[in-house]
Amino acid sequence: MSNQFTLWAVAAAFLSTGTPGLAHHGQAGYDLHQQVTVNGTVSDFKFLNPHCIVYLDAKDDKGEMQKWQGELTSPNHLLRAGWTAESLKPGDKITLTGWRAKSGSTSLWITKTVVNGEELKTAAGD
Amino acid sequence: MRTQRAQSVLLLGIVAGLPVLVHGQQTPNLSGVWNLESSPTTRYLSYGFMAGDPPMTPWAEERFKATRPSFGPRSFEDSNDPVNPTKLNSAGCFPPGVPRIYLQPFPMEIIQTPGRVLEFFEFNHFVRQIFTDGRPHNTALGATWLGDSIGKWEGDTLVVDTIGFNDKTWVDRAGHPHSDALHVTERMRRANDTTLQIEITIEDPKAYTKPWGAQLQFRAHPKWNITEMVCEDNVNFDDFLKNEAAKK
Repeated sequence: MSNQFTLWAVAAAFLSTGTPGLAHHGQAGYDLHQQVTVNGTVSDFKFLNPHCIVYLDAKDDKGEMQKWQGELTSPNHLLRAGWTAESLKPGDKITLTGWRAKSGSTSLWITKTVVNGEELKTAAGD
Repeated sequence: MRTQRAQSVLLLGIVAGLPVLVHGQQTPNLSGVWNLESSPTTRYLSYGFMAGDPPMTPWAEERFKATRPSFGPRSFEDSNDPVNPTKLNSAGCFPPGVPRIYLQPFPMEIIQTPGRVLEFFEFNHFVRQIFTDGRPHNTALGATWLGDSIGKWEGDTLVVDTIGFNDKTWVDRAGHPHSDALHVTERMRRANDTTLQIEITIEDPKAYTKPWGAQLQFRAHPKWNITEMVCEDNVNFDDFLKNEAAKK
């Protein structure tokens, strides 16, 4: 709980940095030891190469709205896991878990996606 | 009628993974969509062809130290990987070359036609042509990203010989370099209905003190299709629009 509070505090501190920068290809920009969970509402979903991006609005622990973005694998891989370009729509309630950006900006590499109470897996089928 | 029967046999062969009739002769059938299943670097599957470093010459050591991969044990946020850069606004998306193209984490389809085997990679839709009609190498085009590939069948194995590379790519995603003297030999065989093995040998006397390589294993995915994958999409396209707008 205190960890989560710390993360939110860090997030609030970086609020002034504006829109988080996109990491282009690879996961070097994310801290694989720092897991974060964000609850919010989808504002946009880019089902594009090289990596899909989820944009969401989420409240910090002070109730202030923050803009977050989550990065997923490429659309090709998600397609084989059952996703489509319509899997996430503005207004969807979403919980993202993943690795926090090393820069401290409000972005994460997504490892778990729960939309309107249902988990969307990212592993491809046969 | 005979042609029709030959076509039917060809189609059946492709569907069932049976030998294919090409030029009236049966050749093993490598057709299908394949995805990398295992490689020597188990922690990072699509990373390198050996767990440690290959036997580099001082020339290669110096270049290797300057490489900054975008992921893996020595990843950098300001990567200078020509294929997968991470620094915002960097162009990248250059062809990965051979054999690195096998390490890009997307499937490939092998398509066999008379006199040619095609490797159709999902990553940026690169296509490799491997000529199997007996022609010699043709490097009249000069150094290229994917090199010039010719192949011949040895029993159930397609032996592919590739030369004519430029020196702009890395041999893997770990950043190991190569020179334009790179010579890649691949031995491809269908180990069973669902497994494709590709044994790769890398020779480059300027960069490596001895030949080295790996055996990669691919799994068949008959229900998968190769779908559009454009590396320059998204971030790079947004940058392109911004740059165009700035000019006005």
